Amino acid sequence: MVAVVRSGQSRSTLHDMSSHGERVERVWEVFRQEDEGDPMIHSGNVNAPDEELAIHYAREFYGRRGESHRLWIVPRESVLELDDPDLLKPPLDRSHKKPGGYIIKHKLEAAKARAGEGST
Amino acid sequence: MTVATDEIPLDQPARDALAELLLTVADDEFVIGFWDSEWTGIAPMLEEDVATSSIAQDEIGHARALYEVLATLTDDDADRIAFGRDMDGYRHAAMLNHARGDWAFSVARRWLYETADAVRLTALARSTHEPLAQLAGKMRREETYHRMHADAWLRRLADGPPDVQARFAESLAALWPDAQEVFAPLAGDEELQRHGLLPEPMRALHATWQAEVRPVLAPIVGDLPTIAPTTDGRTRRTGDFRWLHGQFTLVSGSEVGATW
Amino acid sequence: MDDADTIQPLNSRPRYAPGDSDAFYAHVGSGGKVEADDWMPDEYRAAVLKFVEMHANSELMGVLPERDWIMRAPNLRRKLALTSKIQDEVGHAQLLYRVAEDLGKPRVQMLQDLLDGKTKFHNVFHYPTKSWADVGIIAWLVDAAAIVSQQALRDSSYAPYARTMKKICWEESVHIMHGRDVVLTLMNGTAIQRAMVQEALDRWWGPLMQMHGPPTDPAKDKDLHWGIKAKNNEQLRQEFLSIYVPRIRELGLTIPDAALAHDDVSGRWQYTEPDWAELKSVVTGHGPASQERLDFRRDNFAETQWVRDALLGTATAA
Repeated sequence: MVAVVRSGQSRSTLHDMSSHGERVERVWEVFRQEDEGDPMIHSGNVNAPDEELAIHYAREFYGRRGESHRLWIVPRESVLELDDPDLLKPPLDRSHKKPGGYIIKHKLEAAKARAGEGST
Repeated sequence: MTVATDEIPLDQPARDALAELLLTVADDEFVIGFWDSEWTGIAPMLEEDVATSSIAQDEIGHARALYEVLATLTDDDADRIAFGRDMDGYRHAAMLNHARGDWAFSVARRWLYETADAVRLTALARSTHEPLAQLAGKMRREETYHRMHADAWLRRLADGPPDVQARFAESLAALWPDAQEVFAPLAGDEELQRHGLLPEPMRALHATWQAEVRPVLAPIVGDLPTIAPTTDGRTRRTGDFRWLHGQFTLVSGSEVGATW
Repeated sequence: MDDADTIQPLNSRPRYAPGDSDAFYAHVGSGGKVEADDWMPDEYRAAVLKFVEMHANSELMGVLPERDWIMRAPNLRRKLALTSKIQDEVGHAQLLYRVAEDLGKPRVQMLQDLLDGKTKFHNVFHYPTKSWADVGIIAWLVDAAAIVSQQALRDSSYAPYARTMKKICWEESVHIMHGRDVVLTLMNGTAIQRAMVQEALDRWWGPLMQMHGPPTDPAKDKDLHWGIKAKNNEQLRQEFLSIYVPRIRELGLTIPDAALAHDDVSGRWQYTEPDWAELKSVVTGHGPASQERLDFRRDNFAETQWVRDALLGTATAA
């Protein structure tokens, strides 16, 4: 199976793009940072015809209550998406890459027990 | 040099002049906030609806803060001042007498108002009355957003197709005479000057505003006539405002002494 | 080497291949989530779209009963709170229409279908408002009944909708506080104010009881099976009654249903059967304010069309 990497292109411009309109409504993804130092978290999206109004509307929907420290506003077509499970959740064991892959409980007990016998 | 403190005792004429000044600014914000809040739920696009409503709410918030400064000065209550006067007791500029009209009208009025208010707030931020100066400083920061928004819409309508440009130009031209009244002379102008309560006279602020807006408006609407603010610029009223007054006193005035 | 403990179990949730409806329904039936770009059966897509579209329409129409009172709010704080609340409802409409748009239906078409009476909106928004007390009752009780549904929807199988519901629930909780504050202020006020609240409650109780819809047969409720919604209508109504009947009564208000009582044996509320015929008639556009509101929206939409055309250069944007 070929890995599927999509851009947001397919959904970024709304349907019924007029043949005579050079400007169309676009979708903009909004990421917000709650407090200084926090990660940027995807929070939603707005429709707007251009960058200037996209920024206004992002502020309204994700910042009008003073709830955000920072916003990123990104045209949807700029977002690349990867969701292929063969790439993201490959089936063979990778436990050596995670803390949960190193369970030492039994070995530690055995080592302590041996050390305890030797010291008497 | 003026010392910015409200501990300098003001004599009665100065207090009256300051009270009048505060009332005019507060009433402007109150009335324009009311008209623009009417767009909530019915603006041309959903996203824009939310933006316009925020700006209208900000204006009501500014009005509230100004009424509170006034209430402290005159030993009154902000809600009583805001809701408790007869129609003739309001002191907003004539430009704000009109109903919100269509989108072009509202955009035109907002742009004219925001530019005028910016000039006024810049002066008020240097008032010798400390509570007013501080409040004006905060309001200016919120108004940055309003200016961005008003400018964005001015350009979009002015640069639109010919019929849109025409509609917008018509609104601007219709509003132009009444727009001057943001700078209508105040009875206490001299007192305000003498005490530094208003660092520059209204006519100077008016001139500053004119110099700023004419170059922007000329390409859209042609040369606009020179019109001086008038003595009834803040006292003449219209049927539209009578309707609005009737609306906002409907509940507040329905039962004397009741709390809502 | 004793590595038995180190191997992580594989994710046991069934994955589905595009086109495999059975596996898809097993996935959503067992708590699995769906995103906008995932493959989904047409039936599921249509069901989600219908559900979300009606919700979006309701937020948009829900603005109208309260809008009049923006101009009539009796003091500065109430004016701000009410305008802010209604602004939030418009915001919710946007959030929900966006979810529906990403399922494939353009916003302008949804608005047109609403105005043409082809799609529905919830019953409570088909009734007129008569006094300031209505403002309190709507913000408190109507929003409370709505939030009971909306909290359950935070677990919807359709993930974009679930995420939107989390944001909406948070915002609605503020509205309920505002509504309750308005009602409490009136109840602590004059005799006239208290009577105003009782009168408003008398009018709104019927629509409130109908709001969650008639009990459905869980076996046949597709929205439930597919995880689009997580609780059935009767569960939602019972939940609403459990929380709010005591809160209404403790203010000294009388609920206009003599049969309303909690059966301690069954743990359920008994009540006079709501008029389901009225509900059906209302949501199909025959409510007391249905046509007036749709007319209003139609006029407003036509009146503002030039702005959308100017901004977007097309006659199809909204």
